[in-house]
Order: sequence, then C-alpha cells, then structure tokens
Amino acid sequence: MDAVRVAVVGAGVIGLSTALCISKLVPGSSITILSDKFTPNTTSDVAAGMLIPHTYADASIHKQKQWFRETFDHLFAIANSSEAGDAGVHLVSGWQIFRNLPTEEVPFWADVVLGFRKMTDAELKKFPQHVFGQAFTTLKCEGPVYLPWLEKRLKERGVLVLTRQIQDLWELYQSFDIVVNCSGLGSRKLAGDSQIFPVRGQVLKVQAPWVKHFIRDGSTMTYIYPGASNVTLGGTRQKGDWNLSPDPEISSDIFSRCCALESSLHGAYDIKEKVGLRPSRPGVRLQKELLVQEGRRLPVVHHYGHGSGGISVHWGTALEATKLVSEWVHDLRISTPKAKL
Amino acid sequence: MRVVVIGAGVIGLSTALCIHQQYHSALQPLDIKVYADRFTPFTTTDVAAGLWQPYITKPSDPQEIEWNKQTFDYLLGHIHSPNSEKMGLALVSGYNLFREAVPDPFWKDIVLGFRKLTPRELDVFPEYSYGWFNTSLILEGKRYLEWLTERLMERGVKFFQRKVESFEEVAQGGADVIINCTGVWAGTLQPDPLLQPGRGQIMKVNAPWVKHFIITHDPDGGIYKSPYIIPGLQTVTLGGIFQLGNWRETNNMQDHKTIWEGCCKLEPTLKDANIIGEWTGFRPIRSKMRLEREKLHFGSSNIEVIHNYGHGGYGLTIHWGCALEVARLFGKVLEERNLSRKPPSHL
Repeated sequence: MDAVRVAVVGAGVIGLSTALCISKLVPGSSITILSDKFTPNTTSDVAAGMLIPHTYADASIHKQKQWFRETFDHLFAIANSSEAGDAGVHLVSGWQIFRNLPTEEVPFWADVVLGFRKMTDAELKKFPQHVFGQAFTTLKCEGPVYLPWLEKRLKERGVLVLTRQIQDLWELYQSFDIVVNCSGLGSRKLAGDSQIFPVRGQVLKVQAPWVKHFIRDGSTMTYIYPGASNVTLGGTRQKGDWNLSPDPEISSDIFSRCCALESSLHGAYDIKEKVGLRPSRPGVRLQKELLVQEGRRLPVVHHYGHGSGGISVHWGTALEATKLVSEWVHDLRISTPKAKL
Repeated sequence: MRVVVIGAGVIGLSTALCIHQQYHSALQPLDIKVYADRFTPFTTTDVAAGLWQPYITKPSDPQEIEWNKQTFDYLLGHIHSPNSEKMGLALVSGYNLFREAVPDPFWKDIVLGFRKLTPRELDVFPEYSYGWFNTSLILEGKRYLEWLTERLMERGVKFFQRKVESFEEVAQGGADVIINCTGVWAGTLQPDPLLQPGRGQIMKVNAPWVKHFIITHDPDGGIYKSPYIIPGLQTVTLGGIFQLGNWRETNNMQDHKTIWEGCCKLEPTLKDANIIGEWTGFRPIRSKMRLEREKLHFGSSNIEVIHNYGHGGYGLTIHWGCALEVARLFGKVLEERNLSRKPPSHL
C-alpha cells in the first residue's frame, strides 16, 4: 500500500504539532510541511506561551476544557522529563488579579492547572488596586525553543520541511493526497475565510530574571510572564490591525502598566519590542473540506483560527485534526486503492 | 557614644543599620564602626542561598518566632519598592517535600498562600508523598550586604578590615559598646562550647527556567542534609550538605557529587545547567542563638557587649527581628547611662 502523502501548510505551533500528531497516529502517512515562515519568525514565537486558555465564543466549554486538558497533560509530562529544557516547557506560578469581582470566580480550567485557589488578603496587599485574585501554577511553553524542538522531532521521523509560499491550496494537488491547512491568518486567502482577522498584540521582551511569578490582570490587557530567557510584558488587543511594526508609544504604555503591577520592573534591561497578529476567529476551524475543481478533488483538513489560545490548546486541537486526517485516509483507501481521486 | 560592631555578615551590618536608624537623632554624636576580617563576598552570608525559611520545628525560644515574623514583614514591605532587586530581594514560591505527612510549620501564617500540595503536584516528585506550597522571599546575601554597606556608608558608618583578637583590645581602643556579630567564629573572642560549625557546600548554576524553590526533607537526615534547589535573582543555588563540626573551608569532591546527583534527581532539567561556581560556608550552629547583654571589666573600665550570634541556617530569615532586639537592648544601655534624652526614633 502506498504511503498517503500529506501536506501540512504552516509551521507555527499548530502546523508543527499537527504534523507530529499525524506522524505518530496515522500509519502509512508521508508528511511534508510547507511554510513561508519558520521559527523564530512565526506568530508562535512572539507569544509568551502561557497555558491559560482563551474562551472561544463558538465552541462548547466541554470541548475547550478537553483541548486545554489534553495540551496541559501532554506538556506537563514533558516538563517533568529531562527533555523539558530542550522543549522550552517549564512550570511557573503566579496570580491573576481583578479590579472588580469577576462574574466567574472559578473558571472552567481551574482544575486543569495546578493548585488553583483564591488569593488571600495578605497576597492581595501586593496589588492595592485589585480586589480579587486567583493563585495557581501553570506551564509556559516557549515558541522559540518549542518550535525548533518540534522541528527536530519531525525530522527524526522523516517529515520533510520545505520553505515555500503557497498562494493557492490547488498548488499542492499534484504532489499530495491530503492537505492540512494550518496557515493561521493566511487562511483568509488560502481558504477564502473572511471570519478570520488579526488581533494585533504588541509585547516587550525584557531581562528581569528576579521576577519569578506571572501576574495577569483579569482584563487580560496587562500581563507579566517570566520565561526561561526573558520576561514578556504585555500587551494590546487591536482588532483588525495588520501592522507588524512596533509602536514606541504603545511600548511605553505597556511598560508603565507593568511597572504599576511589579515595580521592580523599573530595573529591567535589554528591552526588545515585538508584534504578533493573533489569528482570531469566533471559534477554531477544525473541519474537513473536499475541494472540487474541474473534476479534480482535493481533501483538506482545516486547522486554524486559535486567536489568543494557540499554545494553550494546540495539542488537543492537533489530536482532533489528526482524527479528521485519519478519516480522509480511510476514505481514500476504501474508494480507490492506488489512484488519486 | 562609640559603638563597635564586630562582624560584617548580615547580622553585623543589619544590626549596625538598625541601631543607627533608631538612635542617630536622639544620640549625638553616635559613632558606629564596623570591624571585620571578612567582608562580602567572603562572609558566611555570601554563601547562603537566601531563602526566607525558618526550621520546620518550633524554636526553643518563642521570641524567635516573633523575630522571624518581623523579618518577613519588614522585607515584604520593601517588595513594593522599585529598588527591591537592588536589595537582593524578590518574591519566590515553591515546594517543601516530605516522605511522610508532617504537621504544619509554625511559620505557615507568616509566609503567603501556604497550602498542602495536591496529588498532581506530588506526581512531579515521585520520591515524595507529602508537601507544602507557599510564597516566600529570596534575600540574596551578597546583594543585600552590598546594599547594607551603601546604606551604612551614607550614614557615615566606617568600616575597618581587622582581625579582632579580644574584646579587651576593642575596649581599650575607646569603644563604649561592642556588638558581637562574629558568627561561627565567636569562640575565638570568648569560648562557647555550644557553638559549632554546620559546614555547608553549595553550587550556583545557570538554570533560568527554574522559578520555584524545591526543598526536600529526610526524616532521618536532619535539616539541610537533603537536596535543595533555590533560585536566586540571577542564578540557582543547589545544596544539601550539613556537617556538624567540620571546619574544612575547601570544597569537597564527594559533597559536589552528592549535591549534583541529589538535585538532578529532583529536577532532571538541571543536567543542562552550567555550573558557575561552588562555595563552602559554616552555619553558626548553636542550640539557641545568643542574643544578650554582657558587662565586661578590663582593669578599671567596663564595657557593654551585646552578643548577637549563633543563628544557624536561618540568619537571613531572622536577622531583622534580632537587629530590632539588639537595638532595644542598646536602648536599655543608654537608659542606664542616662544617655537617652528623647525616646529613640523608630524608622
């Protein structure tokens, strides 16, 4: 039986992890990743990678919790192994604080993270403008380390990685049997999806190694996320803004907002500005589509639109995308053993 | 009033600062000098990891509980300042791990967010079946001593490198009050059979992904004999050595192995860490710390000595409470000599 040739478009966290899942779970698949951008130039490289889920309007809480749990458990196992440093995954504790009592004191993901509890009054004293807070331990999964680690795992498994800019999914028809579209914002063009739009995020990556805890304001606009090689200070949520150049006024504003929460940040040095465009959509598109054109048929699995939550749910959604790929593989094998559709 | 503080570790410098803060306006002139043969980075304080954490068993002297708390609260008060990291101060959270259930420590309400570990958290540490999680403070010895030195110099306190051979020599030099902060070497000034070195060896490594302290406890081994990992402001301290009565100041190869193997077992990612250096220090172990006044007579002159030594492995943890207590005793000395005209200013 010939190998099923799978093309994965996109090499951010979604593309790479989906390719890895397919390689592990779909026997007889031969995988090629095609992307114009690779780490450290993907959106995943700008994200801090904190495992705190975003809530999607268009997906059931049950499903979102499952995706988050699968991702957390998967990364937790890596964090506890000697691979953790190579994979860029580590535990970090901290606080999510609110200026007003939130409607939901215990979010759906509280029992997925570790040690979730309300902050004590003594702990809240550190944040005089805030009236309520949650303390917990979660994981940080850092793009610039995790993505190269994924690429290494993929190459070990014989997955081919190519630099190509795909203008149209039909370009892949000749050489591939199934296309997995993990192109994030690129799907606006590649899938003709007008529901996906950028939410621009500007961040500062600074040196402040004495900051050991994350601090996140419940409005989610201001956050401090300490990592292995820097601290990410954020941020912004600018809908429909495609501008990838950092705005110095915004940087200044981010810095003051963060210093207000953690005044030792005044001593931060080696400050770098970065911008990422979150591939936002009311819900993640996890869907099979059969493209048809002049008698040719191209099975596609769409896997994009994770917005702010890409790293938080990537493994769970990759598993689901892999299931959809398996379904296509099954269909291909029973319809005609050898020929292309 | 001439005060000589002997010792320039955390105890000596913080006591000098506390006395100056409280009495410099009430008492003029107040001349404070620090005499020491070792200054940072060669003091015992420099070797300490700097985690605020008392022993898990209750101290024999209940006053120590209060002094520990005063120190924590004092340091926590500085956390909000932009200069906290210049002081060597940062908040840090982490794990205390045990092989069996133990009662909660006396300091559970002093630290922040104290709770027991959940089963999933214990999965991270397969050799341990019980534990605590809490948020505490790091006070890095070297940075703190540098900071204290700056504060003292701003206040006109003078530093002298000298090996003091006796209290008498200091008295004859013109001191009115001596504050004895000589730590593990106090026995050379006045024999003290209760004081012994608790030799420790530590490694500092580069492992910036380690954000939590991890302290293990072995019911048979005793404190500090079991591996511990404590992140500092820039580096991570690895330790787990405690040898009572051992005065060898050089690093020991077997101890190096013990620390490295113990800590890598606890936190496997450490295998990727670069070792920056290794150091040995002597915890000033005493059944009970010595914080008390003593009047000494040399010929016709009397001199007041206030002893402040023997803080074991919790010097940084208790230092400010002890400094406040020494300042209080100093106030008594002034009263007896009718020297305090105004109530001491409390900063």
